Amino acid sequence: MTRMIDRALGVLLVGLMSLMVLTVSWQVATRYLLNSPSSYTEELATYLLIWISLLGAAYALRVRAHLGLDILMRRLRADRRRSMRMVAHGVIIAFSLVVLVFGGGWLVYVTLDLNQLSAAFQVPVGYVYLALPLSGLLMTYYSAVAMYNLLQPKGGRALAAADNQVLET
Amino acid sequence: MGLAIVVLVASFLVLLLLDVPVAYSIGMATLLTMVVAVDFVPAASTTAQRLATGLDSFTLLAIPFFILAGNLMGRGGIARRLIAFARALIGALPGGLALVNIIACMLFGAISGSSIAAAAAIGSVMHPKMTESGYAPGFSTAVNVSSATTGLLIPPSNVLIVYSLASGTVSVAALFVAGYLPGILIGGFLMAVTAFVASRKGYGKGERVPLGEVLRHLLSALPSLTLIVVVIGGIVAGIFTATEAAAIAVLYALVLVALYREVRLRDLPGILLGSVTTTAVVMLLIGTSLALSWVLSFEDIPQTIAGTLVAISESRIVVLLVINLLLLLVGTFMDMTPAILIFTPIFLPVVTGMGVDPLHFGILMVANLCIGLCTPPVGTVLFAGAGVSGIPVSTVVRPLAPLYVAMLIALLLITFVPAITVVLPRLLGL
Repeated sequence: MTRMIDRALGVLLVGLMSLMVLTVSWQVATRYLLNSPSSYTEELATYLLIWISLLGAAYALRVRAHLGLDILMRRLRADRRRSMRMVAHGVIIAFSLVVLVFGGGWLVYVTLDLNQLSAAFQVPVGYVYLALPLSGLLMTYYSAVAMYNLLQPKGGRALAAADNQVLET
Repeated sequence: MGLAIVVLVASFLVLLLLDVPVAYSIGMATLLTMVVAVDFVPAASTTAQRLATGLDSFTLLAIPFFILAGNLMGRGGIARRLIAFARALIGALPGGLALVNIIACMLFGAISGSSIAAAAAIGSVMHPKMTESGYAPGFSTAVNVSSATTGLLIPPSNVLIVYSLASGTVSVAALFVAGYLPGILIGGFLMAVTAFVASRKGYGKGERVPLGEVLRHLLSALPSLTLIVVVIGGIVAGIFTATEAAAIAVLYALVLVALYREVRLRDLPGILLGSVTTTAVVMLLIGTSLALSWVLSFEDIPQTIAGTLVAISESRIVVLLVINLLLLLVGTFMDMTPAILIFTPIFLPVVTGMGVDPLHFGILMVANLCIGLCTPPVGTVLFAGAGVSGIPVSTVVRPLAPLYVAMLIALLLITFVPAITVVLPRLLGL
């Protein structure tokens, strides 16, 4: 299950990133070759960036790419270290659920309700903000998986193995 | 306001110490501060909204592209070719290899715009060579780490884009041009100190390289160096925006690695995903920092701090010194991107009120925070460099000491001689 999500998320992110490169390249091309700048490309690329950033942040959580401060962590015994990791993941889940899922979901609801439309494409802006709750759900899931792995008897080792797997694929 | 700032600072520091990732610590501290001020529902939705709208910017789009271009070039032999060129150029001086490391870091930082990529790409080639020639591993890493940060001032540079966003008034083009002299100044100071230390420790010279060799290496490094001309030249001449230039850098890098056959088609998804990850880490920091910055101004905290600063002294020199000290402190435990986004709105109005050019202040901030990148406990470049060399961070800190001094002196010059920063952009009418 988790590996399937990893894979799907990875494929989606690579696709979105490629699309973003193509979009801005297209914008440069239309400006200089065809001399008719497109207002659509700018909006599309910006919205792609929001999706890539938010969904990518969930992926970054999975591969432990987010920067943290481990000066206290490194001085602790292994069992204390594990409890501290649990707390840290708890904080991540709290943030994801409250701000991204609930706050972001509220934002989606309000902007859809007001029928706020984007400037170029005239699509509801609420769909752009959908990345917030989606990313929050993914982060919650990944942190829950990490906590579950920590609670296993050989939690630390299993987690490290799982991480290596992710990094290799 | 009193309660809000206590909640903010206390929750942020506690979360940071618990090894909660920095972006989440900032986001959670923002949420908690917001809850003190308003009800729960608006607090949660406003934080989410500030985060999302903060990312809604065409200028920020340059960041993922420069990251991707850097990753493409970091894979291949571009680092190796730049090193060969630098070696042919200055390898014969005392402490030659160390100086080569510095020049190569400056060039690579200028091409890739990332100091971590520079420390890793150059360090992984230079460190084995330097230790083989008798350099102490700690010294070799210290040189690599400190010089890698100059890439943040020498354009293209993602943190300068972040400052452009935070200041709201300074153009990316002006910042890019303004970064050259300060970046080269810091690099020059580092080289002077390195040469001095190397000659005292008796680290060897390299061989003198015949002119023909130098030209051959220049020729092979030329396609990589041309990228700088295309990207920066295009931005400065107003031919394209920073974001478009970054996209061109990606295409150029793709063509380059394809011609050199250094990246195969099946490597691309991995490189793209790695770039997405780095981008997302930076962007989540940007989003949460902008949300935090919004709460700060909502609570009138910048005005309070500004009042305090002005109360300390009305002298521009004193205030700039105090700000420098505060930023040095901040830089030791906070990464550069959030530091710029959070402290620019606080300090910039104060110093512009005293007649400091916002362009000058941005370069000053980056030059200052670069020092924090090489200090524990949160020096990302220091940790990356030590990781590449495979030695503990503690062995790098002592040889870094004279290099810190070099960076501090350069910082003082940049602070009190605005001409170093503004002369080039003025010349070009930016």
